[in-house]
Amino acid sequence: MMAAVYATLLIAFILDLSGLRRSAVTCLFLSLALCVWLFLWEIYSPDYGFRMPWLQAEVAPTFALLWSS
Amino acid sequence: MSGIEHTEAPVAAALDRMILLLMLVILAAILSAAMVLQYAFGEIPRPLCLLQRFAMFGCCFGIARQLRSGTCERGTGISLIFTILLLVVSVRQTLLDLFPRPGHEYVGSAIFGIHMPVWSVFIAAGLLLGFAIRLALFGGLNSAPEMGSTLRRFAQGVVIYVVFICAINFLSVVVQCGMGECHTSGYQLLP
Repeated sequence: MMAAVYATLLIAFILDLSGLRRSAVTCLFLSLALCVWLFLWEIYSPDYGFRMPWLQAEVAPTFALLWSS
Repeated sequence: MSGIEHTEAPVAAALDRMILLLMLVILAAILSAAMVLQYAFGEIPRPLCLLQRFAMFGCCFGIARQLRSGTCERGTGISLIFTILLLVVSVRQTLLDLFPRPGHEYVGSAIFGIHMPVWSVFIAAGLLLGFAIRLALFGGLNSAPEMGSTLRRFAQGVVIYVVFICAINFLSVVVQCGMGECHTSGYQLLP
């Protein structure tokens, strides 16, 4: 899939250099869509989903008091 | 008043082009440095690192387009989209490796004590700042004059160099990942 992302990017550059600007931009946005899909696939975990449970945030005492009242 | 505008506009337009060219050269240098780290020091990039490189190439595409265009800011828009992509991917990778745990240590060498994903966050912030300063100072010029022939040839050379390193990165990705998932244990197509 990464190869497809880079292939479409390279085609976009070549089309742009060839003067086919509209096709180049279309190809670039196709590669962007592939990249976003691949990014979401890479960061998805079957256990955690998209969450990052190793980042633990605690509520500061002041805010905890405010929220409890 | 109109006389002042006439004398200042070409200088502002030239500065506008110089800022864009400088950003393109810096991005090309960063991408070249990443390739040196990969090929000379044997640091195999992770999938998210490859996506960050992709985002930088997308930024280069937008800047190259903007350098040619004097009538619209579409190139800047394209660059900004890819800059945001770079920021999102690099922040996620930074958060992924924030607390060392098995399989999630910061990999690769640190430059000035800062690892690559964190540098990518700085680069994205720098790009956003660069575009913001450019638009704040020059307001998106609608009639930028043609660049001088030397500068135009230099800009064209940088663009061709970026396309060349994009081609090398494509071949490198094919060798590393094949047509499937990317691994950092080695190059899939090499014995």
